[in-house]
Amino acid sequence: METHEWMIQYTRQTEWIDRRGLILWIAFYAGGLGGGLYLVSLYFNSLWGMFISWLIIAVLKGGAHLLYLGKPQRFWRIVSRPQSSWLARGFIFVTLFIVFGAIQLILSFWLPGTAGEIAFKVLAGITALAIAIYTGFVLNTVKAVPFWNSSLLPLLFVLCGILGGFGLSVIIALNGGHVNITVAEAGSRWLIIVNAFLIAIYLWGAANRETTGKQSVMEQIRGSGAPIFWIGIVILGIIVPLAIAFSSYFIREVSAVLLVTGVGCEVIGGLALRYCVLKAGAYSPLVAVASYPSA
Amino acid sequence: MRWGMVVDLTRCIRCYACIAACRIEHFLPMGMSWPRLMALETGGDNPTVSTYSVRCNQCREAPCVEVCPTGATQKREDGIVWVDQDMCVGCRYCVIACPYQNRTFLSKDKDKGFFPGNGLTDFEKAGKKLYAHQIGTTEKCNFCMERIDAGLAKGLKPGIDREATPACVNTCPARALTFGDLDDPDSEVSRLIRQRNGFQLHPEYGTDPSIYFIDGKIGALYTQETEQESVREPAPTGAVR
Repeated sequence: METHEWMIQYTRQTEWIDRRGLILWIAFYAGGLGGGLYLVSLYFNSLWGMFISWLIIAVLKGGAHLLYLGKPQRFWRIVSRPQSSWLARGFIFVTLFIVFGAIQLILSFWLPGTAGEIAFKVLAGITALAIAIYTGFVLNTVKAVPFWNSSLLPLLFVLCGILGGFGLSVIIALNGGHVNITVAEAGSRWLIIVNAFLIAIYLWGAANRETTGKQSVMEQIRGSGAPIFWIGIVILGIIVPLAIAFSSYFIREVSAVLLVTGVGCEVIGGLALRYCVLKAGAYSPLVAVASYPSA
Repeated sequence: MRWGMVVDLTRCIRCYACIAACRIEHFLPMGMSWPRLMALETGGDNPTVSTYSVRCNQCREAPCVEVCPTGATQKREDGIVWVDQDMCVGCRYCVIACPYQNRTFLSKDKDKGFFPGNGLTDFEKAGKKLYAHQIGTTEKCNFCMERIDAGLAKGLKPGIDREATPACVNTCPARALTFGDLDDPDSEVSRLIRQRNGFQLHPEYGTDPSIYFIDGKIGALYTQETEQESVREPAPTGAVR
């Protein structure tokens, strides 16, 4: 007789992280990174940054999300329920950003400083922020997975995206782009600290939310997801970039190789954060047996 | 009118007839089963085996309907939640959102045929014509709404007339499954729920399922001990459906 484990044990969600779900993980991260980079590029008025962020969202985020769908040829249908579905809203944000961003890039290249350019910068900026933040809402509205039911999740994702954006803007600066590298480094430095605190608060909140949430946190820090959490998020995502950022602050002169390493670690940390959040999302048992099998 | 079902846990004999009937009724691919049956042993030295026959709960406040970005998952006036496969885009948001994990994404590996590599049987060929399942979409139990609609059109009463009643209910030899109108206080399902303390799975989710269970040992455990539930080590998570 077959026993379905999901009825009597905590089971993690698999559709959005295992097998083809990995594509969605990439799409979610690319949305945050692209949106964050666009906002940072707006601040620096970096056309290269805006162009790269547009590519990340249009090609990597949009493409990966389409690739994940079971029926990608019906993608146009994902707009019909923006009143209740964050996935529908996200698709609308991405579509609008691709349009607004393309127009803005054209205007910035050929007609810089015009009212039209400013208007489309504002529109593209709003949609970029929405893209960076909506994946947090996609997860946080899933009541079935207590680990995700946190209002911190959208904030964490958007700040993680902006952190990645600052990191990529450092790379752009190193390649002669129109970016103030000192400001970009300072932004990275502060955001790493803020993100580290947010991750700690998020885990603490999830652990205290309900039993299943605590189970997810334990899975994250002590279970099979622990190596990715500790190596990916804590060491590569926080400690290494922070060490490089502070050495840059105190020594004033850090080699380009070290800066690129720091940015690479930030990106890996962002990817690991999304991966761990998706991977640790668990459902309560269908039949809540208190102490199976000895009850 | 709101169609619902009562599962009598004391009557189920774990014969799997409900699952077989559903498979035949809907020509389900081998890798997918809309209803599922689970036997659970509790009691330590004097174990008691309880059986849960579960399927989509047809929730009144269905999370799957809310999150569906295309409107493919819809709720009818009679409470049945169903998936329009022609509209489903395969995003799997509903699979994620269902707290009862009663939805299945039909991927290629779930539809390899009854005898992989040896072509389709005549039964499978007939099924492809009569009840086409679309790979790349999400599926779930629909309370045999085709039978209900056809029966109602003939003036039959679901839950009473076999022709208008879900296949799993018809086939259950132990009469563990009862189907009927939850809004009708005189219906058999309403009577059973009222008289035998019918309970829903995880009512705290606020989904108001249309499937009730009665007389289950697990139900008693559930109501008494949920609050005392202790956290275990991480090992149990990770089951792949």
